[in-house]
Amino acid sequence: MKNIALIIAVCCLVAGCATSRPIPVYQTLTASEEEQMLWRRAQEEQDAIDGSGLLYQDAEIENYLNQIAEKLQTNSISADISFQIKVIKDPKLNAFALPNGVIYIHTGILARMENEAQLAALLAHEMTHCTHRHSLKTLRNIKDRTQAKSATVRELAQLLGITGSIASINGYTRELETEADRVGLDLAVKANYDPNEVLKLFELLKQENEIEGVEEPYFLGTHPKVQQRIENVKRWLAENNRGKIKGSKNTIKFQSRMSRLMLENARLDLRQGKFFIAQSTVKKYLSVNPDDAQAYFLLGEIFRQRGWKNDAAAAINNYEKSISLNPSFAESHKAMGLIHYKDGEKRRAKKYFESCLLLSPNTADKAYIQGYLKLCAANGEG
Amino acid sequence: MKKLLTLLISLLLITSCASVAQKRSLKDLSNNDFSVEIPEGWWKPKHLDKYLITKDGVFLQYVLIQQRPIDRPYRNTKKKLNKGMLPQEAAGVIIDEIASDRRIYNFNVIENAPAIIDGREGFKILFTYKDKKGSIFKTLYYGFISGDSFFNLRYNAAMRYYFEKDIAAFEHILSSFKIVKDKAALKFARDL
Repeated sequence: MKNIALIIAVCCLVAGCATSRPIPVYQTLTASEEEQMLWRRAQEEQDAIDGSGLLYQDAEIENYLNQIAEKLQTNSISADISFQIKVIKDPKLNAFALPNGVIYIHTGILARMENEAQLAALLAHEMTHCTHRHSLKTLRNIKDRTQAKSATVRELAQLLGITGSIASINGYTRELETEADRVGLDLAVKANYDPNEVLKLFELLKQENEIEGVEEPYFLGTHPKVQQRIENVKRWLAENNRGKIKGSKNTIKFQSRMSRLMLENARLDLRQGKFFIAQSTVKKYLSVNPDDAQAYFLLGEIFRQRGWKNDAAAAINNYEKSISLNPSFAESHKAMGLIHYKDGEKRRAKKYFESCLLLSPNTADKAYIQGYLKLCAANGEG
Repeated sequence: MKKLLTLLISLLLITSCASVAQKRSLKDLSNNDFSVEIPEGWWKPKHLDKYLITKDGVFLQYVLIQQRPIDRPYRNTKKKLNKGMLPQEAAGVIIDEIASDRRIYNFNVIENAPAIIDGREGFKILFTYKDKKGSIFKTLYYGFISGDSFFNLRYNAAMRYYFEKDIAAFEHILSSFKIVKDKAALKFARDL
């Protein structure tokens, strides 16, 4: 009877939220059933993410990431989990692991890293969430609490697995995160990576968070806060006397692999109006690829869209550099047209708009450009 | 046992039908600096504190009209609109705001072009997206800057069937859209 009442009550709740799908009810969960449910939920999450258009598709980078994961897994307690590392186009400084071994890393955090040792520490941290079954522990914890007191709607939902695996996205308890830090650092060291690098990464991310005034994302993370994570790493380094031991960093290899991703992420940062971070990422990219017309165009866009005093001149310099490196790069011609058009220099604007349409007759902003050209003609610049 | 089951099943039905029972009227549409003609059969969901109307329910289609202060920050981008912006630049900010929204999947801009709204230069963006559950929506978004305000009118509908079904109604709303420059004077004229 109790079971039927619960099923119907849950159905009512589900019906109330018209967008939710019915949820299977598991009343007597055994350990394996619980885990199976988490994995099913993880698969749903994975399907949603993989079909979202948010994946950064680059086979070379995926292979690289998976190779590092394999190297780390050699010393892991669960050699049987089949890890799969994927990248999400998102400028947030985040990474998360689903309980089924699929790990997602945001372009944001990859673009900020300096070397493979930092990446290995992050991967090892996320892999530990899987090998140490942190999702299952979280689910059981919720279940215990739910049984101990009267269940709230949210807790019921969690008990039923609605958010069980999502804990992996939103962060675990402070204790589980600390365990992932500790075990992850052990794994990174066993794979011969320099553990001191992770401290540098945390410091850099903390500094950037402060500059942009962003909320601390999960990896840094919510549990515990970034400063506490820094303390965790410092304590681990002191306890393990690792401060003086230097492992490998693989800086050059890492930077050459992440080069295009950095530029893509700078574009995403610009989209979110994070001008400072976008600018520093493009400059970092240009230090390795000094002759890239697209990068100079992007730098020009950062200045033009920010619109501070003297930014228009800086934008023009970068667009000109972009055109000098690649005269057929239509986007820079369009941007030059726009900046001159706004400045009232219709003759110059017309020249650039025309060259843009010549280079890219089906450019996405064609209708606007044609409109500007008409107005230029009406103003006697035809 | 039987009684309890009946009670619970009734509760299920009542909860499911909550939206149907909602009173369909245009009451509570907030006052703004604009006026529009709303076609027959459209209504405002009572629980939403927006100038939002629908015909078959908000998950199937809605028209949302907003007047927002130009300097009000957006949720997903730090970029802001400003008075000196060209419509193309304003459209760029809106696209960046939508594209940065993590609730929106497979965002795809089909068209981004200049548009005239109530005689003012603006833009129109036609785009599609998917929500987390995989439902595909299509949106036609018109916007323009006037004084210290950014006005926008958007028509959002399930891509399959509904978008085409009610696009004419939205076009009627759009063509009837007028900025009411002096509301007090207009009211006085009406009273006369």
